[in-house]
Amino acid sequence: MAMQHPTSGNLVASQARPTITIRKRSLWERIVRARFYYLLLVPCFTLLIVFNYYPAFLAMWGSIFTLDYGRDGEFVGLDNFREMFRDPTFRESIGNVVALTLFGTITAITVPVIVAEWIFRLRSDRAQYFYRIIMVWPAIVPGIVTLLLWQFIYDPYDGILNQILAWVGLDQWAQNAWLADPDLALYALMGSGFPFVGGIGVLIYLAGLQSISTEIFDAASLDGASGFRRFLTIDLPLIRGQIRLILVLSIIEGLQAIVGPLVLTRGGPVDSTMVPGLYMYEQAFSYGRLGYASAIGVVVFIAVFSLTLLNLTVFRDKD
Amino acid sequence: MANLSPPIHELPPASKPSSSLQKFISSGDWWKHLALIIISILLFFPFIMTLIISFKTINQFSVSPFTLTFPLHFENYREAGEVVLPYIRNSIVVSGTACFGVVLIGSLTAYVFAQFQFPGKEILYYMVLILLMVPGILTLVPSFVVVRDLNLLDTRLALILPWIAGGQVFAIFILRTFYQSMPKDLFEAARLDGAGELSIYLRIAVPLSQSILGVVAIFNILGTWNDFLWPLITISNEDAYPLVLGLFRFQSSYYTVWGPLMAGYVIGTIPLVILFAFTSKLFVQGLAQGGIKL
Repeated sequence: MAMQHPTSGNLVASQARPTITIRKRSLWERIVRARFYYLLLVPCFTLLIVFNYYPAFLAMWGSIFTLDYGRDGEFVGLDNFREMFRDPTFRESIGNVVALTLFGTITAITVPVIVAEWIFRLRSDRAQYFYRIIMVWPAIVPGIVTLLLWQFIYDPYDGILNQILAWVGLDQWAQNAWLADPDLALYALMGSGFPFVGGIGVLIYLAGLQSISTEIFDAASLDGASGFRRFLTIDLPLIRGQIRLILVLSIIEGLQAIVGPLVLTRGGPVDSTMVPGLYMYEQAFSYGRLGYASAIGVVVFIAVFSLTLLNLTVFRDKD
Repeated sequence: MANLSPPIHELPPASKPSSSLQKFISSGDWWKHLALIIISILLFFPFIMTLIISFKTINQFSVSPFTLTFPLHFENYREAGEVVLPYIRNSIVVSGTACFGVVLIGSLTAYVFAQFQFPGKEILYYMVLILLMVPGILTLVPSFVVVRDLNLLDTRLALILPWIAGGQVFAIFILRTFYQSMPKDLFEAARLDGAGELSIYLRIAVPLSQSILGVVAIFNILGTWNDFLWPLITISNEDAYPLVLGLFRFQSSYYTVWGPLMAGYVIGTIPLVILFAFTSKLFVQGLAQGGIKL
């Protein structure tokens, strides 16, 4: 009873109150009334301001200064950016990252699609589930373990790759120091994704295929579309949303690559695997040139951002 | 041996297995299975090698590197475990705390954005969402400067706080959609019963969103557990290394001592495998919830 009384009282009051007073309530009043909600948002936004917004601002701000360790920041305008595009190492790093991203993106929207299609067409649900679990494996193994394993695979003396090449009789190939040869290192980096079904790509494509209604497939089989033709004309167009997602994610990830080259080659030999992200890392943490590093970060950010926007507009759904 | 072969009359009709085999072959599934098995073997090959090599001494490795040799040297695991286990403990503490923070703050924030009306709500929400578009490479160096200026370098907070800050963005995005899709009547009924907003959140919204909170938590742990770069630049005290950094260091001191090194990799892989074994349903469901596309 004690609970009911004030509640019903409120109801009566709100019914009796003319609507005009609600409209007249000023913005300030509404903000004060909602103070409890703002209070609940404080932890989230405190963290965001300190660790996200402020660093993003600092990146832009810092890129127009010479921020070196032990020296006061001196305003230099666009000098960092001018230096960057004259810097031979940075220029080489752009070519490398484009090659790596192109390769990574193409493999990410082809191989896993095919594998997902194979799994999807299996009749047995249990077999489907089994392969699905298998394909998650690379996402569970710590990325660093995979990279360190590839370092071992490529090892010139004890590595698995050279031993296999020797075993199948390709002795002249089995001598290669894959990661230490400037002509091979970039290809070795690309190969370290083998067999290119890693991560969540297969699962996302599979989820897309499974959300296609069975009526569409029934209609297709009545029209005589099956096998490869059905794949091209029905399955592929209907999972274009998922393909686009993976495309965007691969480009974003590829352009920002740091860890792969850092662990496997340190950008070498002779900058043959240097990428902008790693160059930024080295400028900041090996040479203490925080301003120059920030400028590199800004350039990569602009590239990532504009490519993402381009992707979203060019491939936008008609419907 | 005799009791292994059943009496004749209990055997299935001879034609049945061969006909189901025929069906299997004519269905065309066999080549898909073959292709998928080959892919799976390629996928697992490096890890099978790792497992095999992890039981070898240096001599066994130089004689026959890639086949199982006996005796198996389990002491490799003891040697590697002494080095790797403290790193695993560090990772559990920092990733676990960060995950807890992300679920706590993320779900509360998402709930506020989903349930209440207040001035500036949409602007604030988009200010959160836009961070999904800001790549980590832009903020890597300045984030280091911030953490350095806050005197957090070499502390656990240097990992935990930025991980919560970054992780909550995706969590809010996923959870707000979920809380919006929950039936409004549920909350209205509780309000009419006089329940406070916080207790509605704790007693109704949280229990009903357990599985999606689980998905958010798992993806968050996967992300922070495997984060290599951020610990690399903020943690230099070896005793505080998280696992991935510890493995990297372990590799540089044990390179060419393949047995213990590979044993270390195996040990380092086990925690997430255990996590996955208990949550694989959640994990696969989370990805299958069709909404994942552009």
